[in-house]
Amino acid sequence: MPLFKVRGESSGALQSAARRAGLALREDELRRIAEELGRDPTLVEVYAFDAQWSEHCSYKSSRRHLRKLPTSGPTVVLGPGQDSGIVHLGEHAGERYGVVVAHESHNHPSQVVPFEGAATGIGGIVRDVLCMGAEVIGVADPLRFGNVDEADSHQRYVATTVVDGIAAYGNAIGVPNLAGDVFFDEGFNENCLVNVVAFGLVKESQIIHSKAPPGSAGWDVVLVGKATDASGFGGASFSSLALDAEDAEANKGAVQVPDPFLKNVIMRASYRVFEYLRERNITAGFKDLGAGGIMGCTAELCAAGGFGAIVDLDDVSTAQAGLPPFVIAIGETQERLAWVLPPEATPDVLRIYNEEFSLPNVARGACAAVIGAVQTEPRYVMRSGNEVVMDVPIDFLTGTIHDELTYEIEAPRTRDDGEAFLSGFDVAETFERVLAHRDVASREPLYREYDAVVRGTTVLPRGCAAAGVIAPIPGSTLGLAVSVAGNPRYGRCSARYAAEAAVVEAVNRIVCVGARPTGLTDCLNFGNPQRTEHFSQFVAAVDGLAEAASVLQVPFVSGNVSLYNESKGGGAVPASPIVGALGTIDDVSRVVTPAFKRDGAALYYIGRARTAIGGSVVAGVLGVEDRLPPLDLEEQARIVTAMLAAIDDGLIAAAHPVTSGGILTAVAAMGFATLRSRPMGAALDDPSPWCGSESATVEAFFAEGHGIVVEATSEDRFLQTMQEQGAPASRIGEVSARAELHLLSADFQAYARFPLDRLHDAWSAPLREVYG
Amino acid sequence: MKARVAIPVFPGTNSEEETLRILRDVGLDAEIVHWSRGDRLFQYDAFVLPGGFAYEDRVRAGAIAAHDRMMDAVVDAAIGGKLVLGLCNGAQMLLEAGLVPGTGAIRRPTAAFTHNGPDGKFVCRHVFVKLSVAPERSPITAALAPGALIPAWAAHGEGRLAAPPEHLQEIVDGGHLAFVYTHANGSTDADAIPNQSALGAAALVNVEGNVLAIMPHPERDAWTFNHPDSPEGRAARGNAERMLRPSGGAALFESFAKGLALV
Repeated sequence: MPLFKVRGESSGALQSAARRAGLALREDELRRIAEELGRDPTLVEVYAFDAQWSEHCSYKSSRRHLRKLPTSGPTVVLGPGQDSGIVHLGEHAGERYGVVVAHESHNHPSQVVPFEGAATGIGGIVRDVLCMGAEVIGVADPLRFGNVDEADSHQRYVATTVVDGIAAYGNAIGVPNLAGDVFFDEGFNENCLVNVVAFGLVKESQIIHSKAPPGSAGWDVVLVGKATDASGFGGASFSSLALDAEDAEANKGAVQVPDPFLKNVIMRASYRVFEYLRERNITAGFKDLGAGGIMGCTAELCAAGGFGAIVDLDDVSTAQAGLPPFVIAIGETQERLAWVLPPEATPDVLRIYNEEFSLPNVARGACAAVIGAVQTEPRYVMRSGNEVVMDVPIDFLTGTIHDELTYEIEAPRTRDDGEAFLSGFDVAETFERVLAHRDVASREPLYREYDAVVRGTTVLPRGCAAAGVIAPIPGSTLGLAVSVAGNPRYGRCSARYAAEAAVVEAVNRIVCVGARPTGLTDCLNFGNPQRTEHFSQFVAAVDGLAEAASVLQVPFVSGNVSLYNESKGGGAVPASPIVGALGTIDDVSRVVTPAFKRDGAALYYIGRARTAIGGSVVAGVLGVEDRLPPLDLEEQARIVTAMLAAIDDGLIAAAHPVTSGGILTAVAAMGFATLRSRPMGAALDDPSPWCGSESATVEAFFAEGHGIVVEATSEDRFLQTMQEQGAPASRIGEVSARAELHLLSADFQAYARFPLDRLHDAWSAPLREVYG
Repeated sequence: MKARVAIPVFPGTNSEEETLRILRDVGLDAEIVHWSRGDRLFQYDAFVLPGGFAYEDRVRAGAIAAHDRMMDAVVDAAIGGKLVLGLCNGAQMLLEAGLVPGTGAIRRPTAAFTHNGPDGKFVCRHVFVKLSVAPERSPITAALAPGALIPAWAAHGEGRLAAPPEHLQEIVDGGHLAFVYTHANGSTDADAIPNQSALGAAALVNVEGNVLAIMPHPERDAWTFNHPDSPEGRAARGNAERMLRPSGGAALFESFAKGLALV
């Protein structure tokens, strides 16, 4: 077996050899490996460490900060650490049900080959959920693209092709797309963000863990799925390198090839295996193959149980002859998973995959096969031909490694001297420009490519409300609500504020459909952590997430870190902490929708009225700067409690969170939601009494103050609940049977009526031009 | 003896579970039949072909499945007068198998559900479909009111009816146009059609009336919880039991169940 020469090499020679081999490992890391092994590593070993010690797999610089996130609470069934986290959903027919959630990025691959990159992002995250023994019940996709104004720009190509890739994969496997968002910002021109979230349903007594079970020494390691090929070699390290146009071509080899057709069959076959194992009360280990391929998966699977492993690469089904051992061992061919099974169960499991579900007939070379065994000795060994090509201490390979990187306390880049700017602006014209802004306009042209309703469980499909809702358990009205948030306009000003606001928005979205928030998941997308500026943003964002989640008392159960989102030109993405939230609706017959319900009903804004418009859409539209609206987390927590109490008492007929575009946009969205049935609008009062300013009434309508607009059923009881819970609430107007928004301020009498259909046209058109 | 309904599952099918649930919820004795057990299909009294991407939609959606051995049982059943309902990918299979509109030879299609207009992209959109033949034209629709409106979800990349002009004329003249896309109020125009389907066609029925191929999915809007803002949804507010009842798109399956009792 060829060795990678480390010992005795000069620093320059070693660095250039590493560079030629395409390694992301640094010189000090290479020397540490040779020292621990007492010899030069083999080629398989050096690529194995390259994958395992990448930031992608090891979280070497991020881990110690991530510990600050709150990860426990009464709703947590399984916190971060395995392939996915699990939150409690509720009980039905005497069974406790959990929701499995995993969150990942597939940013780099999607920038290079958008269709395959995005599709395999969905494919990978779905496997993370599947391997917990769960049925996959939904996906979500927070996306960030560059400026797509130019029809023939690469950004436009990325923005449309990523959506095609997500659609092609998710639709084919039969998993509904429940939530997602998209922002367009020049900061993502060279590095799009494609974050993917998947959700699964599992009985809490039937969770399968991503580790070799106790007493499993000598058990079989079984590889299931697509024949291993040369695609996806170097993926883990690739994702930990800054992108460069020159490298993009060379990096294409590192992107995996999706096969949703095969995945559809593997999912259903795995459900059958779950049933088989349950019937016989067999505990097994199951894990997805992602970064680091066969090596990464089987090493982590066995190390997690305190074991070692021996894998024979000759037993791996390959798509072509003559693949070098390090490609078979480390390559990230898609659609594969690994089991640790007691030998007596193995023949039946192989039969289910290979005969009942006929994997070999579904895709050439696809199968389930024994490729190795769990061993007591804590070493990870790989054989190929008659040679041992890898033999290392398993904990050294998979264990914790640290990079202590420097950071500073982030200084927010915002003005603190804001004042009212907007009194001279024309509200009518401004409103239509805000609705047509790329961050506000209807996302339908994009998400209508996604199947939102397969499985027949959908209650509120994508785009219908601020969160997606499904009733995932047949015969039960238990509902799952899911949302995502993460505003890059805040990321540009302050990573910490962006992180806090992301938690608040994701939770508000959940609350607005009548769900109790139960868990959070995050994906932290930043630039190169070796640059203090970027790592400082990362640390500030983690601090923000931690504080917001602690105050709102919603724990994080899973997450992912994506660093190095920058091109070699030095442009990093805006700080992008992206948060997903989950919630339970005990009975979906009490789900809250955004559509106005009753003529004459009172509209309230829950939250402190704000006039600061920093980071808002209107500030961008009008080209003004201002300070960010204050974000009082304690008050946000009271808003959540007050909303849930009011919903419980049936006091909320409709609700929508105030996000991009502000209060007026939220009210418009509640009107748009009525357009398919009986159109209804609203009459809004002069804001000066409730915004506390005579001169900033326009700001009040457009400020993005993190509150919630609601239609109340009974004003007295509603106000009493708000007061009891300490949540500020202002009456802003009334629902009207006329399909228009009517602003009653004396200031703008002349242009006070906006027909809803005209607003809807302004809102619907912009992304149609991009997404057809 | 109670009629038994088979839901055949091909490699790539993805809508079998909700199809099973709605058939059972309207009182039918239905079962999923996996492709590894395809030989059992000959024992069933009726068939509902579910949605998905059988054989990866290779060649054209439904084209490979139409030539699958499992389809032999469906063809036999259709010729023998048994009821066959195809949903989305299942509808595509029925056209590819030549069973619908059924004016040509078996496995010699005269029409196809093919790439959506205008741009070939997958479209997921809530729609209404209107019964545009007399209900008694088919046992599957016999229990529906004349001109019944059924809510459903279009969710397909290949749902545009396409055929040579003479075959389109045949579809019209032979009364094969079972359902057309409409707005919620039953009116129709180009905006009501999600895919530029010829004739605004959402569903076709065969000559004898026992085989119906419908592109949009009524089974995905078939329980009250699927449409909380509809009149039924608002009426079920706060009532869990009522929220779980079949409604909306379930009407087609209720009619199918009644039709099955007739044949």
